[in-house]
Amino acid sequence: MTWINRGCAEYQELTRRQFLRGSGGVVAAAATLPAWLPRVALAQDYCSTRDVIVSVFLRGAADGLSLCVPHAEDAYYANRPTLAVPRPDSGDPNSCTDLDGFFGLPPSMTALLDAYQAGHALFVHACGSTDPSRSHFDAQRYMEVGKPADQALFTGWLGRHLASTAPQRANAILRGVGIGYGLQRTLQGAPEALPIPDLDIFGLTGNTGSRDERSATIQEMYALVNDPLRTNALITQQTIDLLNTIDFANYQPAPGAAYPNNSTGYAFKTTAALIKADVGVEAVAIDVQGWDTHNAQGTISGTMSTLMNTLSACLASFHTDMFSGNGRNVTVVVMTEFGRRLLENGSIGTDHGHGGAMIVLGNNIAGGRVLRNWPGLQPDQLFEGRDLQVTIDFRDILAEIVALRLGNPNLAGVFPDYSPTFRGVTVNCGRGDMNCDGALNNFDIDPFVLAISDPAAHQAAYPECNVNAADVNRDGAVNNFDIDPFVECLSNGGCPD
Amino acid sequence: MSLRTLISRSLGLDAFTDQASLEFNSESAVSADFIAARRKFLFGGSLLAAIVAAGERKARAGDPPSAEKWLVDRLTMGVTLAELAQAQTLGYSDYLEYQLAFDQIVEDPALLARLANLTTLTMTADQLVPIPPGQVQNELTEATILRSVFSRQQLFQRTVEFWTDHFNIDINNGIDRSLKLIDDRDVIRAHALGTFAALIDASAHSPAMLYYLDNYTNTVGNPNENYARELMELHTMGVDGGYTQQDVQEVARCFTGWALYNQNSGANSWHFRFNNAQHDNGAKTVLGNVINAGGINDGLAVLDILVNHPSTAHFIATKLCRWFYAEDPPATLIDSVATTYSGTGGDIKAMIRTIFDSVDPAAAPLKFKRPYHLYMSALRATGATVNTINGLRQNLLAAGQLPFAWSPPDGYPDRLDAWSGLLLPRWNFGASMVMTNGVAGVVFSPTNFFTGATTIDQLMDRIDDALFGGFMDSDDKLKIRTFLNVNPAQDQRRREAVGLAIAAPSYQWY
Repeated sequence: MTWINRGCAEYQELTRRQFLRGSGGVVAAAATLPAWLPRVALAQDYCSTRDVIVSVFLRGAADGLSLCVPHAEDAYYANRPTLAVPRPDSGDPNSCTDLDGFFGLPPSMTALLDAYQAGHALFVHACGSTDPSRSHFDAQRYMEVGKPADQALFTGWLGRHLASTAPQRANAILRGVGIGYGLQRTLQGAPEALPIPDLDIFGLTGNTGSRDERSATIQEMYALVNDPLRTNALITQQTIDLLNTIDFANYQPAPGAAYPNNSTGYAFKTTAALIKADVGVEAVAIDVQGWDTHNAQGTISGTMSTLMNTLSACLASFHTDMFSGNGRNVTVVVMTEFGRRLLENGSIGTDHGHGGAMIVLGNNIAGGRVLRNWPGLQPDQLFEGRDLQVTIDFRDILAEIVALRLGNPNLAGVFPDYSPTFRGVTVNCGRGDMNCDGALNNFDIDPFVLAISDPAAHQAAYPECNVNAADVNRDGAVNNFDIDPFVECLSNGGCPD
Repeated sequence: MSLRTLISRSLGLDAFTDQASLEFNSESAVSADFIAARRKFLFGGSLLAAIVAAGERKARAGDPPSAEKWLVDRLTMGVTLAELAQAQTLGYSDYLEYQLAFDQIVEDPALLARLANLTTLTMTADQLVPIPPGQVQNELTEATILRSVFSRQQLFQRTVEFWTDHFNIDINNGIDRSLKLIDDRDVIRAHALGTFAALIDASAHSPAMLYYLDNYTNTVGNPNENYARELMELHTMGVDGGYTQQDVQEVARCFTGWALYNQNSGANSWHFRFNNAQHDNGAKTVLGNVINAGGINDGLAVLDILVNHPSTAHFIATKLCRWFYAEDPPATLIDSVATTYSGTGGDIKAMIRTIFDSVDPAAAPLKFKRPYHLYMSALRATGATVNTINGLRQNLLAAGQLPFAWSPPDGYPDRLDAWSGLLLPRWNFGASMVMTNGVAGVVFSPTNFFTGATTIDQLMDRIDDALFGGFMDSDDKLKIRTFLNVNPAQDQRRREAVGLAIAAPSYQWY
């Protein structure tokens, strides 16, 4: 048994038992922690190779040309006479805020500017699935399974990611959560994953006195049947106990984080609490419905404006809440099944299109820019003469995150029959900087040796540091195989991205 | 001395072996459960196998259910002792015909009296304009639940549920908060067991549908494709039915001018309106057919083409087979039903008859109840009284299946993997509905339910008979028996035993 497993497993069990008994010992230990947090979170305020991922799906095909406006394109204004967001220099009170001289954020998305300027928010444009389908349901399905046009694949890319990696936390009860009533296709196939509509309300009802007895009877019955009910029942029972240790109702986000007071805001806020509670959840899927704006799209004021206000406020709050200080190791990725038609329709809305936009958020994301291979909006530059082209496959973005932020080298399993192109979505995550002074140099040698030989001692000596930064070869383990790569990085003055 | 040597010396190593490995996730520290689960997923025949196996069940310890029991399961919102007796008296074929001839079944007078109190049910669209939408929504939802539980026309209610999903309209969307009630009555219920041609024609004219899929804004020169696409993808041909983006645009042109009167139009308010001035009268080509009928006839010509298209026959047949038979119906069955569709002009009763005449009940795979189905079946089996739907609404919402509340146009899914993750609300519904005030508005009487039963065996047999038609899974029965046997005379424990039977794995399937 290795050090970190022993520590985590025993600690978890101890904490759970003590918590359930209301032990005074835990109260004392938790005195310096927020009241809502039941355990000493092994705060992952460091740069790991195993981020928690929050996968956000904008259902209904969000208009990428409104989420991130190509204000330098005359064709955008010609095709969107009523829906276009005015240019940054237009003097119009509803003008977009320039990002890079070419793209801008509409007024309803400006809550994301702080994260963008901090370099943590990345927009990806003219991206999506290369499949030509304009069916919501096929396109969502293809994106969620991670393979366009495959009708036989039922598991999701994130489900297969979890299935092909060992748990980040040994003995994790729950590794994947889909906020909702049915598990998102994205997470199908994951071991230890459940759909949960409301993280704060998850318990067996009825007479309290008989609860344990009834719970046991249910468990005994379900233990005898086939999957998926058998496994789902087991995880459900364990998750009831798990979530009961977290007081979501009294969760206090970091100062400055103001989640919107609606169901989407609630989903993000409780997700933040869940991740901070550090119970082993590695992936959360959140759906935001309502982007199918055929009629009265309301980019400035109306349906889409309201949706964008919510989305940007959620992402900005999450950024403030999760990434302040050293930041937690969380990557958020936002996607949608396809973009919308360049030409607005007669209903002041937009019909189904092709290329769209994605948003990626994280401390280790190369943000503060709009990643694109911009195809242009002239008629001969459009997909089928109508729609924004897809010049960046959504799998390029997701695969890089899976490989470099989630530490899973098995891309062939996660994105079958596809060779992704990494596009610099992620940044080098402080590998080898074992004293956390922001530089890789000879001062890191001693702490590196300490991390390899006695991780606990390293953690004690450098409490703000990430012992996983010693995983220089990114194989998911800190061991002697990291020595050569560490030496190489030192000799080269840094590790390659 | 090289850096490398320095480091290795610091570590006290002569060679770079992995003996001091600090792997974060070695198997030695994970539980046996995890290893087993992981083996199952990674090594034991793949995820897909696990998912395929999900549709199976462990063999029943007792006899396989009778054909009549299976038929009642498929045609109703859940078995009751009375319904099962009826089916056994009539026999398989006659019970099917009895349920198909739904308008010959005399309804429960108590149900009709309850429905008569819901005054919006009989109103016209214009009469709904001044009524608060919340009232209209409540009355439609209440009527739907009451019919599900108490109607004797059970196959009709199940078929209505099917078409409600097929022609999904979100009741929480603008004026559809009111107009879904009209659609429910004049489209879905009017034609649920009629012909598909009449059904699609009514749906295309439905103000609620015209609003939901934006066709009311679809005008000449400014087409809106939303309805045109979903008409082909979801209502008729299916996504792989063979239409193109060009077809979508042409169909949209054919339906320009199909709209509804606004709410200030007197007796016409919220009724269907064909606005010829907004119609595109140019020639169009749909699926290779030139359409220049002109005016409203353009849209009607499209409906005619779609209704008679073989893709539509196949798509409707597939969905009906999935609904009534199995999640993955065999191709031969689908083909038979599609043939019936084509030969009868889309006669819905004839298609259902083909399904149940073709299949072997003893070989039929089980289906997983959706939450609405589970709750309705539990209410029926326990003989519960439904005074209000307040608590039922809460419970259906918690499980994700409040009627008419699915927002995308594809309707509540009819697939196991869409529902199998969220078990807790199912357990909680059982736990709550048997308790006094556990589900507001629902009253379960253990005295009535257990009348004549006193011994532990009698009590368990009553649960078995009422909920499972006598075919309860023997393992489930044994576990609940153990629970009940702690104090079989106690009211509380009897209630909870029934609640556990509703939560039992075997009650989730039908």
